[in-house]
Amino acid sequence: MTPLQFEALYQGEWQELDTLLQRFFAVRRRGAPAARQGERLATLYRRVCEQLALARARSYPAYMLDRLEQLTGDAHQAIYQRPEFGAAAVKRLIAVDFPATVRAHAAYLLVAAALLSLPTVIVGLLVYYRPDLILSVVDARTAASFEEMYSPAAESIGRLRTANTDWMMFGYYIMHNISISFQCFAGGLLAGVGSIFFLIYNGAIIGAVGGYLTARGLGTTFYPFVVTHSAFELTAIVIAGAAGLRLGHALLMPGRRTRLDSLVWAARRCTVLLYGSTAMLFIAAGIEAFWSSAHWLPPGVKYAVATVCWFAVLGYLVLQGRPRAG
Amino acid sequence: MTVDVLDTVVTAETPEGILLELRPAGLSSRLYAFAIDWLIRILALYVIGIVTRPIGGIGAAAWFILLFLLEWFYPVAFELSRSGATPGKRLFKLKVVMDDGLPITPVASVARNLLRPADFLPLLYGAAIVSMLTRADCKRLGDLAAGTLVVHQPHAISKRLPDAAVPLVPAHALEPRDQAAVIALATRAPLLTGDRLDELAALAAPVTGGDPRPGPQLTRRVLGVAAWLMGRRS
Repeated sequence: MTPLQFEALYQGEWQELDTLLQRFFAVRRRGAPAARQGERLATLYRRVCEQLALARARSYPAYMLDRLEQLTGDAHQAIYQRPEFGAAAVKRLIAVDFPATVRAHAAYLLVAAALLSLPTVIVGLLVYYRPDLILSVVDARTAASFEEMYSPAAESIGRLRTANTDWMMFGYYIMHNISISFQCFAGGLLAGVGSIFFLIYNGAIIGAVGGYLTARGLGTTFYPFVVTHSAFELTAIVIAGAAGLRLGHALLMPGRRTRLDSLVWAARRCTVLLYGSTAMLFIAAGIEAFWSSAHWLPPGVKYAVATVCWFAVLGYLVLQGRPRAG
Repeated sequence: MTVDVLDTVVTAETPEGILLELRPAGLSSRLYAFAIDWLIRILALYVIGIVTRPIGGIGAAAWFILLFLLEWFYPVAFELSRSGATPGKRLFKLKVVMDDGLPITPVASVARNLLRPADFLPLLYGAAIVSMLTRADCKRLGDLAAGTLVVHQPHAISKRLPDAAVPLVPAHALEPRDQAAVIALATRAPLLTGDRLDELAALAAPVTGGDPRPGPQLTRRVLGVAAWLMGRRS
């Protein structure tokens, strides 16, 4: 069969498929499902695949191959759609996928938690016993601003008088804290070194501030401030760091896969951790801006609420979404 | 098809057994697209800043949150849209797809965009640039981990045979490869200068069986053979 005969024979089908595809993508643009004529689309797609294979095997002219390749490519995108990310998927993510994935990464979480908490404790104790060491972490003016932020006379705890309202701090915490968690994750691509660095660094900063304020006798305002939102914030940072460690581990010890396959596989599994971690940091930012900073709440109430929060977060991560026994 | 050809085409096999050809986008076109997206984001932030400033606290919160969303989720939102590309990429006819040519999944899009800080190191996307220049498929680190590709969107070519040629029976039976070469030359004819076309047609002189001297005469006969091979008979 000559190319022109081939073209004349199948021209009609190609045009029909072309029209169907154009209508399909046009309908999707307006957001309505385009289920109609799906059957015809699938049939034509299979036929045009066959014709492309024939045309390639017979070395038909380039313009014809190009046309067929474009048709198959477009139809391929139309037919093999990704599952839509609707409300049901979000519900399943919260109810099962996220906590289950967290538990599947228990070992990474323990390492990440240790990388964050050990520097916190060590630097915290060092600064507590020798408060001048704070100057090796931050400069004198910043250290003075910490004292101002957490002094019992401050209007709102945890921020400078020059800073603005609860709402502004809410926005700022979201931008700042979630960016830190993303850095902890992305650092995993550098063979995990980046994640390890960011975890230790943030741990050291938290320890330095905590130790310094305790030594200055400001623990009575500092601890009630941090205790509630840290249930969400520290857990979320540890989860993001664990995801980064998983990436680094996949790169360094790919096992029976190639290094690249191993990385792709790990990224596909642990990106779910970032969904949950980001949501938790949103909650933490809300608490930090509106609840933790409130001066009129007695510390007792804050400690009580914090206990509930910590148990709720850990309980959710440990217990939620397990398969039913039996 | 693409054996032994120096090219960056990535082939992805569909369940129907067809090899789809994906053409990875190189550093320069992606850089232009990135610059456009960057400008759009800066402009958006500027406008948002003007609008939110008078509102006070809630306005500042909105500004910070939008800054955060624009920085991290601007590409995700557009990649998951129908076009699979940010406005900058769309302008340069680029698109993000999975390694197998399918539309990008939410997990892959989030992964490739949240891994951006690693690509940024040590400064100004150094890691991304090195990775893209050294790999045939031009992936940055985020693409490697997410299993995604940035490809050129195929554009329709409508090269047809010059209709004027009078069909001419080839002097001897031609192998399929030789037939394909003659037809390919004929489809490229409108894009070539006359002299170059004559030069190339001279290489195919034996198929016409006549006078092998290069020139418009020979070229016309070679194009005639091509028309005959395509199936035209009069």
